[in-house]
Amino acid sequence: MHRLFWKIFLSFWLTLIIFSALVMFAASSYLEHTRTQQDIGSMRVRLSEYFNQGQAAAKQKGIEGLKEWLENLDRSEAIPIFLIDETGQDVLEREIPAYIIARLDRRREHAERMERKGSRHLQSIRLVDGSAYRMVPDFQSITLRRVLQRPRVIALPVAVAALVSALICLLLSRYLTFPLERLRRATQHIAAGDLTQRVAPSMGNRRDEIADLAGAFDRMAERLEKVFGAQRQLLSDASHELRSPLARLQVALGLARQRSNGQAEKELDRIETEIERLNELIGQLLELSRLEAGVDAAHIEKVDIRELLEGLIDDAQFEAESRDCEVKLKNAFPASVKANTRLLRSAIENVVRNAIKYTKPDTAVEISMLADAGNPNGIVIQVRDHGPGVPEKMLPHLFEPFVRVEEARDSLSGGHGLGLAIADRAIRLYGGEIVAKNEPDGGLSILIRLQLAAS
Amino acid sequence: MNYLHLQQLDLGKRMASILLADDDIELSSMLVDYLSEEGFSVDVAYDGDMALSKALANEHDLLILDVMMPKRNGFDVLRELRVRSLLPVLMLTARGDDVDSIVGLELGADDYLAKPSNPRVLVARIRAILRRAEAQGELHNGNEHPDQIALDDLVMHFGSRTVTCGGNPVAMTSTEFSLLSVLLREAGNVVSKADLSERALGRKLSRYDRSLDMHVSNLRKKLGPLSDDQERIKTVRGVGYIYSRN
Repeated sequence: MHRLFWKIFLSFWLTLIIFSALVMFAASSYLEHTRTQQDIGSMRVRLSEYFNQGQAAAKQKGIEGLKEWLENLDRSEAIPIFLIDETGQDVLEREIPAYIIARLDRRREHAERMERKGSRHLQSIRLVDGSAYRMVPDFQSITLRRVLQRPRVIALPVAVAALVSALICLLLSRYLTFPLERLRRATQHIAAGDLTQRVAPSMGNRRDEIADLAGAFDRMAERLEKVFGAQRQLLSDASHELRSPLARLQVALGLARQRSNGQAEKELDRIETEIERLNELIGQLLELSRLEAGVDAAHIEKVDIRELLEGLIDDAQFEAESRDCEVKLKNAFPASVKANTRLLRSAIENVVRNAIKYTKPDTAVEISMLADAGNPNGIVIQVRDHGPGVPEKMLPHLFEPFVRVEEARDSLSGGHGLGLAIADRAIRLYGGEIVAKNEPDGGLSILIRLQLAAS
Repeated sequence: MNYLHLQQLDLGKRMASILLADDDIELSSMLVDYLSEEGFSVDVAYDGDMALSKALANEHDLLILDVMMPKRNGFDVLRELRVRSLLPVLMLTARGDDVDSIVGLELGADDYLAKPSNPRVLVARIRAILRRAEAQGELHNGNEHPDQIALDDLVMHFGSRTVTCGGNPVAMTSTEFSLLSVLLREAGNVVSKADLSERALGRKLSRYDRSLDMHVSNLRKKLGPLSDDQERIKTVRGVGYIYSRN
């Protein structure tokens, strides 16, 4: 089925036919016009005017003037007009059709017999030297070619035809591109994570390649939705299912503590730490799967960045103290962005906790709000630690899940885990950007770029 | 909301009785052991219907309510329960799901705990809620405190544990009630988050804990702004909250 092919082929063809038909129709109706009986009167007026002009030119400039005048006239007049001398030659030496010569002969005989002058069509222009030229309009040889060669004659029909065919082409291109535009929008939605988009219903009764494409697109979207949904469900189920035994494990640990009477306390503490680590990891996995699914994209509100950072620092301070470092808010000013508070908070929190993990003891994790140099409507939140930094080649990979920067050290600390990956997904959800760079005097800076909310 | 039953607590005389509603039977049986060891008497319910009927029997001091349960989920149980009872409720929500905890608190849970969690934390939360309920019971019986506090259009009656705002009664959970009473007693002064958590929630403020903020935001929603369109409970950044006088 190549319906679209035939649609395009036929409509272009049709347009061309209509265009040329219109031109021909307009031209021929013009000719028709010149031929109608009613118009002969005005034709006669025109001819007698030409006759007077010719006579005047002949009087003033003789035979050369007459030739020049006739050449000029021929350029704008669709009807060929001959000036025939007594020998039967045209003054411009054009070939005279046989039927005209025959007619002239007949008329001459007739005029001689009837003792009358020739008809007004056959009036003669007389020169000073006495030679006479008969003016003979040749109505029969108005050809299309002659018409087309005279722009003043053809201008109007061409304009009308162009207008009509432009209209047809406009409708045609609209008809062809509208569904493509619809498909483009749907594709963008899919790319943005909205897998529920379908286009076939908007195609109506259309049955061509575009409708087929829409159908194929929908089947693809359906499949994507199914696969993504299944994967998301699996991850979410797995996380929930992992948590049930973890919950039991925690209670069992509690029971073990109650019954061990302080023996094996160290081992039990270790078990508790590992359970907590596992728990956090499962929580992060779940969070990441929620983020990738875009579950939390809703609930967008205006978030006061300074307030959020201050609240966050209060909390982070707890954790920092246990690692002998501190968290400082270095530079803050009023600013708000549009986001989901919980999500934005957890994103920045993950970055800050990561910084606390790597900064050296007795140093501070510094959080600053900065203006975005490249974007007057943007803001940068900088989280800077005084740790070992990250090898340059690893910087772009820092936001990948479970990335390990240095094998030995990170296997002790558990690596960067999912915290930065979560932060990256969350920030990008609000059109922001998160990048890492090493500071020249040591330590790592994470820069979070966000778009300010219009006030 | 019209509360038909008021919990009467006299924990000094008997073991606090806890109803544990969770569909994980193994977990429940271990928790029963654990909580018994900690000095509670524990009853269990394995689905929403059982939890609701047992809770309405008015024999327990506290309900530990899991959100994910067959027949009737935790939210439905809580909604039904709150029509007729003020039984203190501790919600167990899926970790990382803030929406669950917000919904729980809005429906009238006294506190929530993300599951899975350390049983020691669970016990601490239980004790905090019971202490608070007990304190309110004493308050109800004794006459050491004034029976009501009135400020502008807001009146708190401690006897009937009701709040009226501009003459209209405002339904409130026991946690919200104690939060508001602390803020109202300190009206015009900033109460730090740590202080507020200890006095109103009966426990230390833990890190990354948003429950206080959520309770306050629920209170704001229920009470509406002051007559001059100002927020009744203002946030003092990095410090705490203040109830503003007109």
